[in-house]
Amino acid sequence: MDQALQHLVNGTVLGGTYALLGIGLTLVFGVMRVVNFTHGEFYAFGAYITYGLIVLGGVNYFLALPLATLAGVALGALLEVALLRPMRKADIDSVMLVMIGAMLAMQNLEMFAWGGVAKLTPNPFDGSPLVFGPVSVLPLRLFVLVVSVLMLLGFWLALERSRAGMAMRATFQDPETAALMGVRVGWVNTATFALGSGLAAASGALLGPVFMTSPTMGDLVGLKAFAIVILGGLGSLPGATLGGFALGFVEEFAGGYLSTEYRDTFGFLLIIAVLVLRPQGLVPARERIG
Amino acid sequence: MLRLDGLSVGYGGPLALQDLSLEVRDGELVSLIGANGAGKSTTLKAISGLLKPQAGRITWGGEAIGGLSPRAVIARGIAHCPEGRRVFPQLSVRENLEMGALLRRDHGGIAADLAAMCDRFPRLRERLSQAAGTLSGGEQQMLAIARALMSRPRLVMFDEPSLGLAPSLVEQVFAIVREIRAKGTTVLMVEQNAMAALQMADRAYLLEAGQLVQAGTGAELLASPEVRAAYLGG
Ligand SMILES: Nc1ncnc2c1ncn2[C@@H]1O[C@H](COP(=O)(O)OP(=O)(O)OP(=O)(O)O)[C@@H](O)[C@H]1O
Ligand SMILES: [Mg+2]
Repeated sequence: MDQALQHLVNGTVLGGTYALLGIGLTLVFGVMRVVNFTHGEFYAFGAYITYGLIVLGGVNYFLALPLATLAGVALGALLEVALLRPMRKADIDSVMLVMIGAMLAMQNLEMFAWGGVAKLTPNPFDGSPLVFGPVSVLPLRLFVLVVSVLMLLGFWLALERSRAGMAMRATFQDPETAALMGVRVGWVNTATFALGSGLAAASGALLGPVFMTSPTMGDLVGLKAFAIVILGGLGSLPGATLGGFALGFVEEFAGGYLSTEYRDTFGFLLIIAVLVLRPQGLVPARERIG
Repeated sequence: MLRLDGLSVGYGGPLALQDLSLEVRDGELVSLIGANGAGKSTTLKAISGLLKPQAGRITWGGEAIGGLSPRAVIARGIAHCPEGRRVFPQLSVRENLEMGALLRRDHGGIAADLAAMCDRFPRLRERLSQAAGTLSGGEQQMLAIARALMSRPRLVMFDEPSLGLAPSLVEQVFAIVREIRAKGTTVLMVEQNAMAALQMADRAYLLEAGQLVQAGTGAELLASPEVRAAYLGG
């Protein structure tokens, strides 16, 4: 029982960052109908920028975190303007090919810049765990959870309660009519891609001190992000949040009780199970944004 | 006043609209009629900036507005209520109305207009927080009209507002269009229901296959043998 509680806590920590990752990918798919293969690379980008700022730049972790997120936003905006904007009228296959090319380029640039050896961002916190009854949590993990939940809440509030968020949701649903209302749809596309990339970079930056950062980590993370989005029902933001936590729990419980080595496998088994039993995903279609 | 001079618009293939000239004077209700595919919606989309003209001029109060973005056009007081209602299905009724006022900054005025729309369309008031996609077809059309008015336009363009509605609702929609004009807003209306559109119009234009074939007052077109034969059932 105590062990289960412990896994529950660890799964929640992981789930929060997975939810950020899934929401970023869902946004880009929902608004722009772009299958974003670079998403995992933005996660790696965030992790590397954090590492570089702390280890090479001597920057404090708590400052490096927002800086890495902003760097992700800026790179996302650049990529959208340079690659996606000229292809707005292209068919989906061409756009996918371009995105795969961008992913390979980003991954190889990371390899070139940082070398093939995995890096570990120094833990800014004390290494001894906080103990709450039967459960113990490393301060770093608690921090990761608090920040991801705050980011999820902030994102949700901005989307649901601000005019810009309303314009963005309207653009998900009907870009042409949104344009008639005065929405600058091109600008919304850039902002969406930048925001989605920023969320991926933020989760990479958050988890930098938890997992090792390596140039190929984007592959696995990208796959997981797609898994989360599919779990949530392709194009649903509440679904992506739920999918993120579901994946976090499955990995944590299966990793703990069944096999640590195959922990990543269980997440994908879950997706196969969901696709067979509930092909529409966890959240019903009427709540989809697209 | 809105003027089109020699307007041609296409979608990449053959021109959907060729050398169209028309005008809408302040305070008028002008109808644009024609069969399916005649180019009526294309005309409205060119005016509202969704399509770029390939040739010709669009002027609004003397200013050339052809090729401006939809945002720039609505900011100049021209609203476009699109064919098929096109409410945002997952936004609430209130949010749909707020989308209509997206470019306005006078928060007090927006709140007052929202209240006025609720008075005019009581069914919308009852459903303000409901997702627009759950409204009936008639309610969605009312919402689309109200949303277009939320920008406080000087000219509002309706694209087939009666499409797919039950006869009693069609009457209601036309009554609303007349009322909008009576309150001083200029109206350009596209309709397939030629009889009603010509009866209520000050002036009307008939399009066929992308070209203007007749223009005149509503009464003149109603009396024209060609119009009667082709569009009014003899
Ligand atoms: N997005 C598009 N791409 C290519 N061709 C189009 C497109 N939209 C319209 N067309 C073509 O342009 C012509 C005019 O279409 P338009 O929609 O303006 O007709 P309409 O008069 O509004 O007809 P309806 O009464 O059916 O709405 C048609 O031949 C149509 O096939
Ligand atoms: Mg049409």
